[in-house]
Amino acid sequence: MSFTTAFHKELLEQRRTRRFMIAIVVLVLFGMTSPLLAKMTPQIITMIPGGEAFSMLIPTPTINDAVAQYIKNITQFGVLLALVFGMGAVAVEKDKGTAAMTLSKPMTRWSFLLAKFAAMSVTFIIAVLVAAIACYYYTFFLFGELAIGAWLVLNGLVTLYLLLYAAITLFYSTLTRTQYVAIGLSFGTLILLGILGSLPGIGANFPDALISNASLIMMGETPKNWSGLWVSLGLIFLSLAGAWLVFRKQEL
Amino acid sequence: MSDLTILTKYLPLLIPIALLQFGLLVAALVDLMKRENTKGLPKWGWILVIVFVNLFGPIIYFIFGRDE
Amino acid sequence: MNAIKIEGLVKTYGSVRALDGLNLEVRSGSVFGFLGPNGAGKTTTLRILAGLALPNAGNASVSGIALSNTTPAPYARTGYLPEEPAFYPWMTPREYLDYVGRIFKIGSKERSARVDELLDVVGLKEVSKRHIGGFSRGMRQRLGIAQALVNHPEVLLLDEPVSALDPAGRKEVLELIEELGKECTVLMSSHILADVERVCDTVGIINKGKLITQAIKAELMEKYAIPALELVAGNGMAQQISEWKERIERMTSVSGVSIEGYTFRIAVKDVHSAQRELMQDAIRQNAHFERLEIVKPSLEDIFMQLVNGVEEKK
Repeated sequence: MSFTTAFHKELLEQRRTRRFMIAIVVLVLFGMTSPLLAKMTPQIITMIPGGEAFSMLIPTPTINDAVAQYIKNITQFGVLLALVFGMGAVAVEKDKGTAAMTLSKPMTRWSFLLAKFAAMSVTFIIAVLVAAIACYYYTFFLFGELAIGAWLVLNGLVTLYLLLYAAITLFYSTLTRTQYVAIGLSFGTLILLGILGSLPGIGANFPDALISNASLIMMGETPKNWSGLWVSLGLIFLSLAGAWLVFRKQEL
Repeated sequence: MSDLTILTKYLPLLIPIALLQFGLLVAALVDLMKRENTKGLPKWGWILVIVFVNLFGPIIYFIFGRDE
Repeated sequence: MNAIKIEGLVKTYGSVRALDGLNLEVRSGSVFGFLGPNGAGKTTTLRILAGLALPNAGNASVSGIALSNTTPAPYARTGYLPEEPAFYPWMTPREYLDYVGRIFKIGSKERSARVDELLDVVGLKEVSKRHIGGFSRGMRQRLGIAQALVNHPEVLLLDEPVSALDPAGRKEVLELIEELGKECTVLMSSHILADVERVCDTVGIINKGKLITQAIKAELMEKYAIPALELVAGNGMAQQISEWKERIERMTSVSGVSIEGYTFRIAVKDVHSAQRELMQDAIRQNAHFERLEIVKPSLEDIFMQLVNGVEEKK
């Protein structure tokens, strides 16, 4: 199958261009530092000149602060990586002419695209997994045990959230030949979805709800509204299908 | 708690972080030294970025500075 | 049998008609030289044949497989070399050829033997473990030829295969193409006529998206066997060369002029009247030359006659 060939090449590319390593190192570092920062926040504030006055006002950090810190850092920097890794995926191959070399051979365009998304998924799944393990141990030493089941669900949702932005960026990357246009459009979409997600009432139907549901689960609650999950999955599907529809007839 | 006791208490947790950062920094410098050309900045510029921009210096170099 | 058949191919980019009803037939087993000035539509034609661009109208088939006009078709039996082959800089040539072999679903044992063989053929064996990112233009061109051959193609589409090479590399690659021509059909575009003259047995000339003529090279030479004149300007004529060229172009018995250094190559309608005109002009303008002689026509002269001829009619 031409997908296997393309996938093999994409995985090699993730390794050779150091993207695989970068994703793991960045997310693992945040997995380690997030609980540590949460724990040390009161001490850090007292070290700041004039901070002593506030130290009384700051409650003792809890395990939930560690989780909140982790979610915030991993999603922020993970999405940034998804945008940076995805922006050139197709745009640069079109611009340089490598896509034309490959696609004038019996390689389907669908395989070519899907392999890129699949390889990025592998990178992010592994990176989040390693970060989750690191964070689990740091939290364990600093605060106590995390509920493993909920922790896995949380990380699964975070990964899905990152893959959504990888898919969206891949879509924009097929639209253009300039990677910076692709990342610009992705960034715009990120902001738009963020605004939509923060609107009262309908906000829970957008991808950001994945993250709020994840923290609810972590706190032992059961989220009622899962439409954000379906919307995210739908958006991933639409991005990939849209990318294929555009790419199918594109001249290289 | 004094600063020193905090430091000793958390030291086992800080060491892996420091090692990871240092490893990344060294890896970036080694990669840079082996390379003839860089993108965006001249070689010495990237050295400054790698060494002085905490954590993100090496990463930014790996993503944007490598010219094959 | 025809390896490539093109009928009424039209391709427009905005208001520009890159191909304007192109008809072309390439006989199986021939080495077909596809000639034309820059912008004539050679690259567009090859890109359509390689499945990278879609025509607005017309039909084409390669190796008997018709191009579909809805989706770009992948080809298992063709090899394509674009004008500027591009590679992944982080790959080695061996890895790239292996990747191409996988695309063609060649089994691993056969694939690795084929890769070795091709690296040898194009002379990249010694650098087979270096990253392509550091390759020179000539090395990339040779790797480009290798990647077009991985699947033992029946039809080889080469877009300006030697333009980027130095004279030694050019000679090597032309010899390789000559050799390949014994096993498969080659369609090779070029704007350098000497190269085509050397390796091709059939020639098609394209201008402004239309085929002007297509013939066996020998027949073409015979048909347009009007001798040409070669005039070498004397020392100290440097400043007047372009002016001189303009005067020659205006002569009634001249159909085309090209210059290389101090040498004018003049395609003529009639040798004797052209000689007379040239000499009269030289006396009148006080221009001196070292040599004026009749030479056998080259493809270049024929090409100039044909391309200019079409322009005159318009």
